[in-house]
Amino acid sequence: MVYPCDNCVFSIPFVFRSKTQLMLVLAVFLAACSSEIKPPLVATDIVITEPVPGREMSAAYLSLTNNTNELIDITKITSAEFDAVEIHESLLEGGIARMRQLEKLAVPANSTVELRPGGKHLMLMRPTKTVDSVSLKFFAGTTLLLGINASIQPRND
Amino acid sequence: MSRRNIFIAVLLGGAIAAGIVIATMSRAPVEPRSAFIIPLPRELPEFSLVDQFGEPVNADTFHGQWDLVFFGFTQCPDICPTTMQILAHAKRELIDAGSNTLPRIVLVSVDPERDTPEILGRYVDYFGEGNLGVGGELGEVRKLTAALGIYFEKAPIDGDNYGVDHSAAVLVINPHGEFSALFSAPHSVANYVHDLAIVMEHN
Repeated sequence: MVYPCDNCVFSIPFVFRSKTQLMLVLAVFLAACSSEIKPPLVATDIVITEPVPGREMSAAYLSLTNNTNELIDITKITSAEFDAVEIHESLLEGGIARMRQLEKLAVPANSTVELRPGGKHLMLMRPTKTVDSVSLKFFAGTTLLLGINASIQPRND
Repeated sequence: MSRRNIFIAVLLGGAIAAGIVIATMSRAPVEPRSAFIIPLPRELPEFSLVDQFGEPVNADTFHGQWDLVFFGFTQCPDICPTTMQILAHAKRELIDAGSNTLPRIVLVSVDPERDTPEILGRYVDYFGEGNLGVGGELGEVRKLTAALGIYFEKAPIDGDNYGVDHSAAVLVINPHGEFSALFSAPHSVANYVHDLAIVMEHN
């Protein structure tokens, strides 16, 4: 028996009562396979803002999708182009804007967390060089979960 | 029905239709989507601050043009640049639409200790021409914010570093130097483009 992918637990039965039944089994089979090969953590809709002239900080916005069945806690983020990266959350309460630092960014199992203006975001502090793009690495403890690179976008376009 | 009666009926029908069209047109625009128009516009208090060029800023500075005033600080990475970006974008849309009454964008620093005129100048210039950055003595900023109901307070981050919690509203000052309307957060370009005409018309 040859398996289309190594991680699959399904095998194709030899006898099918109908074409539909065969298609259904195949669909389940392929779905099971494809979920196994999805990367555990994916970043999309990445926007890294240009630091305002004279200011030593910038914000990064993105969506993080956890494709696993376990909670992913991002506890550390580093950048080659910035001295420090912090996880922040802007809160609007009673018309007052507040900002708080988060110890970690929790991405629940099979869910997407969106980092957007006015909400959770990454604060990039003290650029170490002038660049057009920024690389970011996301860690859980010392385990590297994801590395990304995205170009810097001006805020006055 | 005679030919004459038909003629009168058509004429009446046309007149009614035209009346409906005119009534509908004159009714719009009516309600602002986001802006709160203050029933009795308030004069600004006495205060003495400085702009990015080191020139004095007081109540007189707000006479002669429409102003959109935001209270923030330059070391704020999210809310403040996002709000400035929205105001600048809305102004550009008004320019593109051929509006002849363009508001000036004003940032009053709630962190005047760190926001020097030089820093404020570079900051507001980034978001477009003609913007005003206002700083000065903390006590003088308080005179202005207290009169306008704007909250701000230092919030320690770590070590000597701090942020500033602050009201996220944008105030509209009319050409008589009066506080005449308020936009509450969250802000949107579309709401400014839609509402500013109504706010200005209401004056």
